[in-house]
Amino acid sequence: MDPEAARTARESLDLAFQMSNILDTGLDRHTLSVLIALCDLGLNPEALTAVVKELRREPFSSAPVLPPSSFP
Amino acid sequence: MEEEDQQKLTDLVKELILRLLSCKSPNSASQSPSSPHFQASLRYAVRILSSRLTPSVAPDAAAVAESIKRHLAIHGKSSQALTFADLYSKFNSKTGPGSINNKWAVLYLLKIISEDRSLAGNDPNYPSLLPNIECFEAESGDKSRVSREREGGRVGWDKGVLLVSKDPENLRQLAFKEYADLVKEENEVSEELLVRDVLYACQGIDGKYVKYGSIVDGYILSDLVKVPRATRTMVRKLCELGWLFRKVKGYISDSMDRFPGEDVGTVGQAFCAALQDELSEYYKLLAVLESQSMNPIPLVSESASSGNYLTLRRLSVWLAEPLVKMRLMAVLVDKCRVLRGGAMAGAIHLQAQHGDLLVSEFMKRLLTRVCSPLFEMVRSWVLEGELEDIFSEFFIVGQQVKAESLWREGYRLHSGMLPAFISNSLAQRILRTGKSINFLRVCCDDRGWAESAMEAASAAGTTTRRGSLGYGETGALESLINEAAKRIDRHLLDVMYNRYKFKEHCLAIKRYLLLGQGDFVQYLMDIIWPELSEPANTISSFKLAGLLESAIRSSNAQYDDPEILDRLRVKMMPHSAGDRGWDVFSLEYDPRVPLDTIFTESVMVKYLRIFNFLWKLRRVEHALIGAWKAMKPNSITSQAFLKLQRAAKMPLLLTLRKCQVLWNEMNHFLTNLQDYIMFEVLEVSWLNFSHEMEVAKDLDDLLMAHEKYLNSILEKSLLGERSRALHKSLFILFDLILRFRSHADRLYEGINELQTRSGKSSLASRDNKKSGQQRNEGPSKTSSWASDGRKALTQRAGEFLRNMQNDLDSLAKEYTTLLEGFLSQLPVQQHVDLKFLMFRLDFTEFYSRLGVNKC
Repeated sequence: MDPEAARTARESLDLAFQMSNILDTGLDRHTLSVLIALCDLGLNPEALTAVVKELRREPFSSAPVLPPSSFP
Repeated sequence: MEEEDQQKLTDLVKELILRLLSCKSPNSASQSPSSPHFQASLRYAVRILSSRLTPSVAPDAAAVAESIKRHLAIHGKSSQALTFADLYSKFNSKTGPGSINNKWAVLYLLKIISEDRSLAGNDPNYPSLLPNIECFEAESGDKSRVSREREGGRVGWDKGVLLVSKDPENLRQLAFKEYADLVKEENEVSEELLVRDVLYACQGIDGKYVKYGSIVDGYILSDLVKVPRATRTMVRKLCELGWLFRKVKGYISDSMDRFPGEDVGTVGQAFCAALQDELSEYYKLLAVLESQSMNPIPLVSESASSGNYLTLRRLSVWLAEPLVKMRLMAVLVDKCRVLRGGAMAGAIHLQAQHGDLLVSEFMKRLLTRVCSPLFEMVRSWVLEGELEDIFSEFFIVGQQVKAESLWREGYRLHSGMLPAFISNSLAQRILRTGKSINFLRVCCDDRGWAESAMEAASAAGTTTRRGSLGYGETGALESLINEAAKRIDRHLLDVMYNRYKFKEHCLAIKRYLLLGQGDFVQYLMDIIWPELSEPANTISSFKLAGLLESAIRSSNAQYDDPEILDRLRVKMMPHSAGDRGWDVFSLEYDPRVPLDTIFTESVMVKYLRIFNFLWKLRRVEHALIGAWKAMKPNSITSQAFLKLQRAAKMPLLLTLRKCQVLWNEMNHFLTNLQDYIMFEVLEVSWLNFSHEMEVAKDLDDLLMAHEKYLNSILEKSLLGERSRALHKSLFILFDLILRFRSHADRLYEGINELQTRSGKSSLASRDNKKSGQQRNEGPSKTSSWASDGRKALTQRAGEFLRNMQNDLDSLAKEYTTLLEGFLSQLPVQQHVDLKFLMFRLDFTEFYSRLGVNKC
């Protein structure tokens, strides 16, 4: 990755991190970067938020028995 | 590439889960990727990710940013909102390699996570709000206190009003719960079902709860169903649409049923078709609404659920426009229920005069379709003369008549069917154009009008095909009709003048029937005089026809067109006993098709009247001239004068003089009358008529000009309605003149007789020489006289002359009275030309002074 792109990426990430702080999402930088990468790949943001929420709520729900599903 | 992506995806997901779990419980032991907890979480995550493939909100980064800003502002974090705005603008401006492509997704992500966090953080058991209960704000108003403090209080979902409340005991929450329960209780039927029923009602179908009540004549919610009153009213309002729809649909199906029975015409059909088109639009809208009514409102947060997208309020917004249209259609249906054809088009046109753009557009669309059969009919009528009107919807009606009255009565305007956007004058022109084509086709056997029609169409810019005119193009229609009318009229007049020689025939009628051909009339009078003195039933028309022929041949009339002479013949009117030939004789002219459109029966009758009058005038004139011939100072009279005794001389002189004087008066009267008729009446009228013939633009003009010509002749020659009394006195005068003639004849006969008698009794030789020129009355009579001698002769002469004198005196007196009467009536006549007659007759004011003297 050329330095220009790298710089853009870093700056974007910074901005996003600041926005996320204002909104008090509780995400740290690294998680946010992963999420952004997943969004860019085309995943549904609603789905991602659901994942985040569920996994944060882990203590409430025990690991459910899931039927195996296909990955898109 | 795909594989790479997949791998990256999997890695990232794993990473994410790891981070999240480690965040959660930094102290737990389940950190390795291979722990069962991790695996379970992974599987769960995968499941969630694969279930929501498409987002339900439109991907608009700016909108999301806006909503975030607003959210921040509402919650009192305005400074943070500003910062956020700043950040967002910077964020958005980052484009190019290395930047985030799916900005919207990122923003959305952040928003939802923060919302969820705030929700989850505040109250894990937050009950779901029913967002479609609008009165929620009012309810919560009681329990809130506006304060700037934010001590653990909750914030409401207001849409613009800042409401921060201190509510530690969750009072609001309890209130909401109660309210929700209450609402659920009252609403036996959910809104969803009501909406569906209303949609059914709008198509005319009875739903489960909303049915058509025939008493009330509307779709109502049955009273048994428990719904709050507001909902009930709303349902009622929406079901008006259903009622209107029913009405329109009913009309359409009714008309379709009646159509084979020929009660509904083509215009009615077009109207139904246009209505059905509108209704299909309406169906489309309803179908969309129905599909929408099943969809829930797309909300992204899982914690809140929503009702259906389509509530009664939303429905009323959607249905507002169709309601207006349906109302218009229902009004039209009402108005047009009993109308047909052009009347229907006119009624709809009146409705279309509306200021609202929507209404006028709608009406215009409808009218274009409705009027197309009408315009078709107009086009085919104007260009081809065809009247294809099975259902009698056109404003021109035709009827079967004979060829000669085709022009006058064959077609007429039916103003009931005339739509308002076609003016009366335009309709007249349309009528005339089509009539002309038919006239040409039937009466004149002419085919040339077809080219005129083509020319007209091309000149007007349309074609002769069907369907080239429409409503709203009245200008085009008018120009087409004008062109067609112009050309057809010109063509018709051409045909009339050139092929059928209308002018020549008119002139011929004038020359023969109106006695314009002087030499012919004179000759005819001369040879026919002795014939007509016989009683009517002894006269044979063949003989008269022969006399007519010889009259024609001996005058200039023989050089006339044989076609014209063909048509001239003698007519013997039906006679009763005691009629003389004079009363029954007349000439007639035979106009054939198509000229008999102009010279109809009634017109020929008028000509006959004028002919009779003129003929009588001529007869009287002829009689008077005959008397003049007898009254010439001739040798017989002078001889008689010389021969008679002194005693008889004076009476003779007096009688003769009286006779002369009377003759002069009568002659003066007759000559002037004759001149007046000839010059002031006939010639002047003819001149006017020729001028009008030059400028006539169509057959109607020609007909009117001819009528005017005839009527003016009738009026001026005292044959009109107003001059009846005058006419009577005139005829009495004529009779008087004829009596005078016979008297004069008798007088001169008597003188001749005396002369012959005296001639015989006196020196025979001298008289014989002189009497070579005498008329020999009859030798048989003289024998009885000869013996009487001169005294007896004188006595006889005196007696005779006295008788004659008395007769002449009485005649003269009568004449004078009558003439005076006649002249006194002249000034009071309305017609200005009769004053000219008065002027001629009384040029020296002799008679008026006479009248004055007498008074």
